[in-house]
Parts: sequence; structure tokens; C-alpha cells
Amino acid sequence: MMRRDSIVDRLVGLPWFLLMMILGLASLGIVVLFSAGSGEIDPLTGNQVLNAQLSVAHAWRFGLLLLLALGLALVPMRLWAAAAYPAYFVGVVCLILVELFGVTVNGAERWLQIGPLRVQPSELMKLAVPLALARFYHQIWEGERQSFWSHLWALIIVVIPTIPVLRQPDLGTALTLMAAGFAVIFFAGISLRIVVAVMVMVAAATPLIYFFALHEYQRRRVETLFNPEADPLGAGYQLQQALIAIGSGGVTGKGFLEGEQKQLDYIPEQHTDFIFTIVAEEFGFMGSLALLILWAVVIVQGMNIALRSRNLFGGLAAAGFVSTLFFYVTINIGMVIGLLPVVGIPLPLVSYGGNVMMTVMVGFGFLMAAHLNRDHQMAIRGVF
Amino acid sequence: MSRDWTRQFVNRRNIFWGAGGLVFTGLAARLAELQLLRREEYETAAEDNQIRLDPAPPRRGIIYDRAGRIIASNKRNFYVTLRPEMFTSGRQLVDVVDRLSAILPLSDARKASIIRDAANQPGFLDILVADDLTWEDFARVNVMAPELVGVSADVGELRAYPYVGAFYHTIGYVQKANENDIGRMIEADLAQMGIDPASQEGRTRATTIRRIYKHPQMRVGKQGVEYFAESALKGKPGKQRVKVNAAGRIIDRLASDDIAATAGSDIVMSIDAELQTLAIESFGGEAGSCVVIDTRTGEIVVLATTPAPDPNEFVSGISQRAYDALLADIQNPLYHKAYDGIYPPGSTFKVVVAAAALETGAMSPETRVYCSGRAWYYDRPYHCWKREGHGSMNMHTALQNSCDCYFYEAAKRIGIEPIAEMAKKFGLGHRYELGLTGGKQGVVPNDEWKRGRIGEPWYPGDTISVGIGQGYMSASPVQLAVMTARVAAGQACPNPKLLVSGIEVPDNDVRELEGLDMATMDRLRAGMYAVTSEAGGTAVRAGALDPDNTLPPPYTGARMAGKSGTAQVRVISLAERATGVLANSELPYKLRDHALFVAYAPAENPRYAGVVVVEHGDSGSRVAAPILANVLGAALRNDPGAKPAYSPSSELAQVEPHESEPT
Repeated sequence: MMRRDSIVDRLVGLPWFLLMMILGLASLGIVVLFSAGSGEIDPLTGNQVLNAQLSVAHAWRFGLLLLLALGLALVPMRLWAAAAYPAYFVGVVCLILVELFGVTVNGAERWLQIGPLRVQPSELMKLAVPLALARFYHQIWEGERQSFWSHLWALIIVVIPTIPVLRQPDLGTALTLMAAGFAVIFFAGISLRIVVAVMVMVAAATPLIYFFALHEYQRRRVETLFNPEADPLGAGYQLQQALIAIGSGGVTGKGFLEGEQKQLDYIPEQHTDFIFTIVAEEFGFMGSLALLILWAVVIVQGMNIALRSRNLFGGLAAAGFVSTLFFYVTINIGMVIGLLPVVGIPLPLVSYGGNVMMTVMVGFGFLMAAHLNRDHQMAIRGVF
Repeated sequence: MSRDWTRQFVNRRNIFWGAGGLVFTGLAARLAELQLLRREEYETAAEDNQIRLDPAPPRRGIIYDRAGRIIASNKRNFYVTLRPEMFTSGRQLVDVVDRLSAILPLSDARKASIIRDAANQPGFLDILVADDLTWEDFARVNVMAPELVGVSADVGELRAYPYVGAFYHTIGYVQKANENDIGRMIEADLAQMGIDPASQEGRTRATTIRRIYKHPQMRVGKQGVEYFAESALKGKPGKQRVKVNAAGRIIDRLASDDIAATAGSDIVMSIDAELQTLAIESFGGEAGSCVVIDTRTGEIVVLATTPAPDPNEFVSGISQRAYDALLADIQNPLYHKAYDGIYPPGSTFKVVVAAAALETGAMSPETRVYCSGRAWYYDRPYHCWKREGHGSMNMHTALQNSCDCYFYEAAKRIGIEPIAEMAKKFGLGHRYELGLTGGKQGVVPNDEWKRGRIGEPWYPGDTISVGIGQGYMSASPVQLAVMTARVAAGQACPNPKLLVSGIEVPDNDVRELEGLDMATMDRLRAGMYAVTSEAGGTAVRAGALDPDNTLPPPYTGARMAGKSGTAQVRVISLAERATGVLANSELPYKLRDHALFVAYAPAENPRYAGVVVVEHGDSGSRVAAPILANVLGAALRNDPGAKPAYSPSSELAQVEPHESEPT
């Protein structure tokens, strides 16, 4: 087989269909954020005051990170593998530093202030965990040493960063880390019997977690889910307003910029975690479904890339990242439409905010790199 | 190896797709349920959404005195508003306003202006019908409410000034913003944010600011600290979700912490309200001002002007009649005498002239000048206040007796420029930025000033009058207090300060007192001590602040050291001199001399320095000195400077209940 390795060949070989889907989702984000930023009514004219600030910032952020992702796509798999453990290690150290010297924002310690930079190490971990796990399994498989116990080691790799994140407290990120980690373990071939057993155990332990492990505000969110009318002025009201926004969107929606619910400012974090309410209110069922389908296509594409990788590292890490995306999308939409309790998880590429966008775009960079390097066999030795 | 895991990978991917497909189908199904099946239900809910977003004015910052006493706060305010958009016809509006006037005291003019506003303003801006209502009026409107479409009776906050007139001139007052105020606030805000007023963002901001200042509860600082510190005091407006019924009446307020207003910063003044009140009382019925500075910190502990109107009357709009009466008052209550009033410093200025004489070497302390009651300079007679003359005077006795002839001679020998220079070193001729509106620079005249202002060169004769603080020389009481504080504490005295926390008040290019000989300062203090404490001193009766030794140490038995001054308001003609100068009591009020006294205490180890000016009070030593003695005595007893100024905690201040409100 001919080796195609020049930069041009690599660019031609990029997963262009996937890139188009990403571009489509980010564009949807730009459009919806324009609407989200334009809620205010001019008291003198009665017209809506248009404000493109959010969408312009979103567009810039996406554009720059897309360039970064394309650059990362050209990074050879060997380098990704070499970076996996150091990234994981730095991330864990940072998480511990956050615990010791973190900056508190919105009541949770998530940030580490380094000079002018504010770093959120838990974001780094969302990629570092699947990468580290993939490398771990890659070496296990190479050495033909796989056994039940290797999965236990993998579990430890997942748990170490999860504990400080839970303590911040950032339930959303902790769940994301676990989802990414368990996905890799799952794809690495842990026995299905164990998977089923763990699921049964989790189901059995749910009441215990609810009563003993959750914070008071988290318990309230769960209660809200089952009984939105219980707390009509607090959390319940917000969910109810979100549901009214979505439901009143109907089949085709009220039209771009025509959403009424958003003008009441009642839906919390409408430009970030609850951005989906605007999609649903202004573009209706068609719009929401289109969004879901776009994401489904991205996930299927991503999973196919993972599958075609001939090196285990690339395949497993890609599967881990795609699972993270799947987790993001389902949890976010699930909570907005009242199927899941509210946890702080944004809708990637559409929600406003730099950190998740960064994580996701670096992840796409890796996914594309995995695609370009799908035929490479690779041997990894040692720890660095 | 690779074949092995690839096969397994396909297997696992299929499981993932199965589960993932199921989850996505679930999401789609739920969306279909909400948006297709239950659409109508939610559409109705959206229409029924009786939640309205109202602007929520922020709580205005509290102003405290140095001991944490409240000088300006917010009391509960019952008010009634009307929302024009709820009316279908003009007749309905007039009808509702008529019905309201049956319950509330509304003048015909007020009714007309409400109807006019309702026609001219955007329909969703509430119009204030009446505020500061009694609980009874408020309750009556609430009972009648079902018949009054578009009318809301509401509870908010209104500015209250518990010390009534005592702080009128310093604090100022707030009122409803007019177009000028709104324009000014928009301009200041955009300039601060660096936004172009013509840009989209600039117009949006302007609209938001306009809307919040149009709110019935919002006031803007019109004068004094309220005006100067508006940006700090006003806070950040927020929004409030309210549930309204079909008639537009608010039936419930919903939790809105996420969009709530942010309260303004509290401001602490260096004034001690108790001392301030005492100072004002000490004036009796006289008009004038008193300023006292803590020489250790430069903090102004008294800044009193009397008489003063009640700022509370201005908050909801003072009536034209009451305002005209204030304007016509011969004692000029609207005028901030302590800060805006400029007076010839009179004999109090002799301290500065003495300093200039010593520093330039024009006079030695023992140089003697003979006072016959009159001296001739440049073919013109200049009179001493004592017709029969003081005889031979040196610097000490000249200060003690306030001999004019001595200082005419001193001024002549020194020349105007060194005198002007010294006056500036002692803090005259500069407008001190205290964080208030107004403030005068006064005049420290010299050749350059006169050419610029009057268009004539300085004549040597002009210098002679300046020697006794008359002529072109003028200063405000605040400046005279700084001058006295500098005499008392020398270079160690910090620049004057009124606002301790809550806002920065930069005052650049203040002239410092520097380069003066310690011996000179000692001689000035000895001279001022002689005025109040050595036999023959002009104010020797007022010198003892603690005759019964009741003050705690280190102030036990304290005396003050001071200097009196009398500022002529009229020119005494030669004819009048010939027939005998008229006594002040024979003159109409407006022509009587101003009485000045500057002093510090305790004399040996000065802590507080101040000034009293009694307008048209006749005699500095007889009228002004006892008032200042009273105030400085109280200052030593209270010793406000002994404790650092109050620092407000972050707790939300309590809203005082309305007096007529049942508890």
C-alpha cells in the first residue's frame, strides 16, 4: 500500500463529512445565540434590542478552535500516545492544587489562577482520562497480559481524578469523567456480565446515593423532576418555564427571534446549559429533531472512525471521546426536557462558553488524527 | 492481536448503537410529546404567563457619620402608580384619576400632569401618582383597587434624612430625575464604559438608564454628596418578576435573586453628627458656619452651615411656595456658607502675614511699630480698629491685640508676593475637593491675579489692606479651618478629608505647608495663645474650654488658642469717620460686619482646629469666639478622632418602617 503522508494528502484525507456536521452545529449555535442575546425589549419602541455579542464571540471561538483542531489532526498518533500519561498526571496534580488554592466561582471551586490565566483542570481531564486509559489498554494488549485485574487498574485511573472533581463540587464533570472512563473500559472488552452486574448494583444503590451522597440542592433538583409544581417559585418554576418554552414551540416553532419565554429571563443559563429551549421554542419540533439528528450523525461518524483504527490506542481513545459527546448531548437535552435532573452540562458546539468548546474541539482534533492514522500500527513502550 | 480486539470492538459498538439509538429515540419521543401532543396545553400556559419583568431600582447606599450614625438612609415608602397601557380610552383614564383624587390628596395641577404624562409616555412605563403616603391612604387605595384599572399600590423605599437640616448642605438631597439628570447619567456612564453614544450598544445602554431613572422609585442626587457620589451610591439596577392580573395589577412578586438589583455602596463621612448638631445649636438664631478639622488625620469632624432647610422636603418635590420662601429668607438658608461662602478673612489673616514677615525677615519678632490709631501710606490714611491706638507693639502684642497699624507696616515691608505665597502655603486660594458640589477657591491676590481679573497692575496701596485680611483677599471657612489646622499642627497636618470610605475623592495640587522655620510656627502659636489666654487678649474671656477641670486627660483644663476677625461688609466713608463710625447695631442686618474666629485646642498639644463665621455677627471675639469655644470644648469631650471612622458591614441595612405603619 502506498504511504500518503504529505500535508496536502493528509488534508485531503480529513473526514470532511464529519467536519461539515461540526460546522453545521456550530453555525446553529451562532444563530441561536444571536437570539439568546437579543431578549431585551426597548422600552421606547417596544422592539427587541438585537445583540450579536454572544454569537460573535461564539463564532470567533469556534473559528480559532477549528484551526487548532485541524492542526491537531496532523499530529501523529505516537505523539498523542506520548502525551497521554503526562497530560493525565498534570491534570491530577492541577485538580489537587484546585482543591488547595482554587478560585471559587458560583459556589464551586473549579478554577486555578496561574498569573492572568484561569485554568479549569477538570476540562483537561475529560480528554486525558480516555487517552490515558487507551494507552494503558494498548500496552496491556501488546504485552498480551489482559485479565480481569487490568480492568480494575483502569477503574483506578478513572476514580483518581473523579474524587477531587466531586469534591469541588462539580457533579456534571464528575459524571462526564466516569462516562468517558467506563466507555473506554467497556470498549476494551470488560465482560458483559460485569457490566450488567455493575448496572444492577448502581440501580440498587440509587436510594442510598440519593439520601446520603447528594447535596441538598441536588436532591431538590431530583424532586423537581418528578413534581415540577412542588416549588413553583424556585427550581420547579424554572423547569416549568423551560417546558412551556419547548412545548409552545409546536411543530415549526415561533420563528427566529420570536421566542417569548426568553424575554421573561426566567430560564436560567439560557445561553449556556438551557440553550436548547431556544432551539425548541423558535424552531419547533423540526428544529429540535434536526439538532438531534445532526448530533446522531456526528456520533455515528465518530464511532466509525474509532472502529476503523488499526491501533488500539487510537480506537479506544476515539471511542471514549465519542461516548463523552454522546453523554453530553443526551444528558443536556434530557435535563432540559425534564427527563433528567438538572446537572451543569452544556450542549457542545451550541452552548456559549469557551471551556467545553475547547475540550470538544481538541477532541475532534484527536478524532481526525485517529482517522488520518487509522492504518498505522504502533508500539508503545515504557511510561513516557 | 489486532484481529482479536477488532472483532470485539464491532461487537461492543453494536451494543453502543443499540443503547444509544434507544436513548435518542427516547429523547425524540419526549420532544414529540411536548411539542406535538401537549403543544396546546403549553401554548395556553405561555399565553397565561402573567409574569412581567419590571425594572427593580437598587437600594441607594446609606450615608453614615464617623460613628456609624445614619445621615441618609431609606425608609419604607407607600406609593401609588398608574400604568397607561391598561386604559382603553382617555375617558377611562380621567375617570380613574378622578376616583383616585377622592381617596388621595391630589391637586388639580397634579391630576392634569398625570393625565398629560400618561398620554406622552410609552404605555408600559408606570407613572407615579403619589408617594410617601400614610398607611391609611395606602390601605384605602388597596381596598378600592378592584375598581381602579391600571392602578397599583406598592411599597418601596424613599430617601430619608434623620438629621433634617444639619446635613442639608453637605449631603444634599435626591429627587426624581429630570431630562437633564438622565442625560447627565447617560453621558457619564457611556464615558466611563468608553462606549460611543451613537453605536447600537450605546443607544441600548442609554435606553436602559433612562428607563431605570423613569422608575417611580428611582431618585437621583441633586446636590452635595448625593450628587457627587451618585455613581457609588446608586448601585446596579436589576429586574423583578411580578405576577400581574388582567388589569395589570401586581398580585405577587416572584423570587428574582438571579436578576435582582445590587445595592449601592455605603459612604462614611468623617463628620461627627453629635458634634455637628451641637455646633449648629451653638449659633442660636444666627446665620453662619463652623468647620472643625482633626489635625491628626485631616478629617473634617464638623462642617456645619446654619440655617438650613429640611432636605426631606425636597425628596418628593418641594412646593414652589416653600421654595420661594427659602429664596427670600434674609439668612440665605440655601447657601452653603462653609464651602461656598467667601469672606474677607479679616484679622484672622494676620497670622499668615506674621509668618511671612518672619520668614522673609521683613520683621524680627522684636521689631516695634507705634500705633496711634491711624497710619498714612501712599497719601491715604489707614485706621486701626482701636481709635486711640495701641502704642508701641511687637509681633506678640500685635497679634494679641490684633493691632492693625502693626500689620499695615508689616505688609508694606513684606510686599504682596511673599504674602500671597505664604497664604497659599497655609492652604488659602485652593478649592478643596471634599466630595460635594460647590466649593469656592477664594482669592489670594497678587499682581498677576489683579491684571488677569481687574485689568490693572497691583498698586502698593493694595498691599496695605491685605495686611489685615481685607481688600481683595477672600477665603471660605473650609480654607480658614485648613489654615488654622496648619498653624496648629504644622507640616504634620494631613490634607482635609470629608468622605472616609465608599468613594475615592482625589484632590490633586494641594499646596503643602513646607519650608517654615519651627521658631516661626512657635511664635504664631504663642501669639494665638495670647489672644485667648493672656491679659489684654481680644478673646481672653473665651479661652478656657474646661474651667472646672472635668475633661478627661490629656485634655483636662484645656485652653484654646485662636484669632478673632471682623470682616467689613461695607466701606466706611470719610464723612462717617468724621462723625463717628456707626455701631453695627445701628446698621441694617445685611450691612453688619461678619464675625470670624479661628482657633485650635488644646493650646499646648493641638488636636482640633476650626473656624466659626457668624454672618453679620458684628464681633469675632465677642460673638464667634464663644461659639467656637463651645464646639471645641465638646470636640475634646467627645474626642471623635480617638476612634477610627465606622466601617459599614456587608449586611443589608434595615429599612426603617414608616411611622404610620401598624406593627
